Amino acid sequence: MLLAVVATAGAYVLASLGTTAEIPVNLGPFLVFVLGLFLVAHIAVRRYAPEADPVLLPIAALLNGIGYVVIAGLDAGGKESFAAAQATWTAIGVVAFCTALLVVPRIRDLQRYRYTFLLTGLVLLILPFVPGLGSERFGARIWVSLGPINFQPGEVTKLVLALFFAGYLVDKRELLRSSPRRLGPVRVPEPKYLGPVLLAWGVSLMVMISQKDLGTSLLFFALFIVMLWVATERPSWLIIGALLFLAGAWFSFTRFGHVQDRIDIWLDPWQDPDGTGYQIIQAAFAMAAGGLAGTGLGLGGAVRIPLAESDFIFASIGEQLGLFGGTLVLVAFLMVIGSGLRIAVRTDQPFEKLLAVGLTTLIGVQAFIIIGGVTRLLPLTGITLPFVSYGGSSLVANYMLIALLLRISDESNRRPRKPEVVASAGAL
Amino acid sequence: MNRQIARLGIGLLACYVALFAMLNWVQVLQADEYAEHPLNTARIRKEFNRPRGSILSADGAVLATSTDNPDPNSEFERIRIYPEGELFGQVTGYFSFWYGASGVEQAYAAQLSGQTVEQQLRGLGDLFVQRENVGNVVVSVRKDLQQTARDALGEREGSVVAIDVKTGELLAFWSYPSFDPSSLAGLDHGNVEQAWKLLNAAPGQPLRAHQYQDRYFPGSTFKVVTAGVGVQSGTVTPEEPVYPVERSWTPPQTQVPIFNFGGSACGGSLFQVMEISCNTAFARMGTETIGPDEMVRGTATWGFNDAPPIDLPGPARSVFPTNFTRDLPKLAQSSIGQNDVQATPLQMALVAAAVANGGRMMRPHVMTEVRDADQQVVSRFTPSTWKQPLTPEHAAIIRDAMIGVVRSGTASALAIPGYEVGGKTGTAQLGTEPPRSHTWIIGFGGPPGDPQVAVAVVVLNQPGASEFTGGRVAAPIARAVLQQALALKAGG
Repeated sequence: MLLAVVATAGAYVLASLGTTAEIPVNLGPFLVFVLGLFLVAHIAVRRYAPEADPVLLPIAALLNGIGYVVIAGLDAGGKESFAAAQATWTAIGVVAFCTALLVVPRIRDLQRYRYTFLLTGLVLLILPFVPGLGSERFGARIWVSLGPINFQPGEVTKLVLALFFAGYLVDKRELLRSSPRRLGPVRVPEPKYLGPVLLAWGVSLMVMISQKDLGTSLLFFALFIVMLWVATERPSWLIIGALLFLAGAWFSFTRFGHVQDRIDIWLDPWQDPDGTGYQIIQAAFAMAAGGLAGTGLGLGGAVRIPLAESDFIFASIGEQLGLFGGTLVLVAFLMVIGSGLRIAVRTDQPFEKLLAVGLTTLIGVQAFIIIGGVTRLLPLTGITLPFVSYGGSSLVANYMLIALLLRISDESNRRPRKPEVVASAGAL
Repeated sequence: MNRQIARLGIGLLACYVALFAMLNWVQVLQADEYAEHPLNTARIRKEFNRPRGSILSADGAVLATSTDNPDPNSEFERIRIYPEGELFGQVTGYFSFWYGASGVEQAYAAQLSGQTVEQQLRGLGDLFVQRENVGNVVVSVRKDLQQTARDALGEREGSVVAIDVKTGELLAFWSYPSFDPSSLAGLDHGNVEQAWKLLNAAPGQPLRAHQYQDRYFPGSTFKVVTAGVGVQSGTVTPEEPVYPVERSWTPPQTQVPIFNFGGSACGGSLFQVMEISCNTAFARMGTETIGPDEMVRGTATWGFNDAPPIDLPGPARSVFPTNFTRDLPKLAQSSIGQNDVQATPLQMALVAAAVANGGRMMRPHVMTEVRDADQQVVSRFTPSTWKQPLTPEHAAIIRDAMIGVVRSGTASALAIPGYEVGGKTGTAQLGTEPPRSHTWIIGFGGPPGDPQVAVAVVVLNQPGASEFTGGRVAAPIARAVLQQALALKAGG
């Protein structure tokens, strides 16, 4: 753990040297500040969750740090100053992280509040529609403005929805598994048990579609299907999910112009290189310019990519740190996924297991959706890259997410271990 | 549930492997294609944002330099400014994000941005010193002479070229209309685009450096070349042949006679026909005395049909026709600078300079030195010969002939007390009614026996068509520049 933190700090010092040597931006003090925050987070883990997985926090900090340095570099290229705000949001994220560790001493207590979480999630979803509170930006009505603070409730919604799904599915797991009814070759559970889940999913999807927030819709859908599949252990859910997805995709493709636009851009961004295809083409140019080793921190021209510091930050990383930097980010997310799933496998409490799966899926799929969008593996759907992108809601929510994972890991590691082989055999 | 979790892990791993493959595709396999893509402005942006040195005149004026961009929201850190505006527009050229570069900005782009191999090697020594590795280009053109040329020409379309006959350095290099490069170097796309459109639509094409990128009928100034070819080929001497005194001469193969200006009668030996710019005599000289083959070969030794190796982009080739074998009337016309003969003002200045410099035509150039950021000289131009149309002895003959033109001929307005000055006027009739013409003068001057500076002046589209038009219109301009240039040479 200490080693990982030292490595993280080393990366920071190197990054700060590389950056300050090349761009005249007052990065030093901010970096000390940001590093101090990670130290605080680290001490909080040592103190309140001493047995927790040692990898997650350093990786999160590394991703946060890479994002921060790239954002500071983009700042130097002109435009507004995002780095200072990002440092502030990192501080708030770390506070949220410590608070989550403090106020949730036992994960299973959360199971009781599943309907509260459902309600919270739905309220958060609807908030952007409240006149005076909600605001539309970049074509998506996913923002809530409270005075000077702009917030994306969707980022928190994903947490509470994962909590609700985990709580509810564990509760009704056996009932859902029994699947007495048949629909053709597929066995379908009693609708009444599925009701609340379908309701949550349907409402969230509808709301999201009306907010034109495709990335988050996709993320919630993936979360829902994966958790249902893992909870019920029925692969039919994956098939049903795929069919539902295709149906939903076809429906929105035929009904919504903005969905068609996204698909068109994905298939051929060159038909309107100065208009709709501009962002994705400039991202490709930037990443191509980065090549293997990148142009160097702070030296990219990625400022010309719209949203270079948030949704498109991966393109900026690709330009400044090259294929190596991009691969590092991919590996970092894989390590988060690995740690999260290992935590899920190790705990023997179904609720914690399912929650860990849900949380890990959230981070893993969210990063996949946006990196896939930026590299044109998938159609582009605007969504933040966890820990890396500029943005407060995302940072705070993801730090809380990591705190919950660490809490699960700490609890299961502290429990007297049952022989793991037997446990798995039982599950098999 | 653990089995599902393991499968989920494999599924997510597959997703990331796909991302990694896509990343390789974009950053490695497609990288070159994207880099070369016409829509990819990354390279020009990089070039544009690089530190760039200044351009300085020979007498120390800053002609082009970069300053910090006051706009913090701009993606560009610097703005290129041109303190002398249009006075040096066609020397410095412009450096524009949207329209590229011209002039010295284009020709010495690598030196200005410190990208030459030599500068890069020097830069290695500065590894631990924070210093901008840029080059400052010093040009041979003087601000004071340029200003004199501009004032003398005024708002008449035309060009003024003054050249150091021994080195080929251009001392004055002006043409009107000119343009202010600052208008194209701005960072506001709308403004720059509008300026570009206006300049391209403007009468007189201010963006063209008429001095060396446009060619005109040289008229009688070309007789210097005809005489030179004759003397060098051995067919013409100061004594022989003596051309008959006549009002007109009709070349073979035609009924169309060539007249002298104003229908006057003239003739005689080389010096006499040169002084009064006798058309019939020079038409005969080219057609009968020298002949088509020797005229074509000889004019080539003066640089015709060959772009001068000036260190500025896009020099125009001066033209002497080469298809005379069955067209002697055309040769007769061409021998007096009419028909298809066309020359740039630079070319005619080089003609005068070669005569003055013992027959050696030096390579014309504007860059004298490139200095690094500490004003240490990185490279210096070494003068070299471009053409040698005359032996020194033959050059002396033509020189004396041209001195005679100033002493007692059509170019007397070029005379400067205390200096030995030679010249030749020219009037290229445009065939309009009322008659209009391009009026020319070329010449050289210096202390007796030591010609130092050559000039060429063309004033376009002037009213009148007499042989004296060139002397009246162009000579005062050439004289003003020549006199000041010689005074500066004597002073320095």
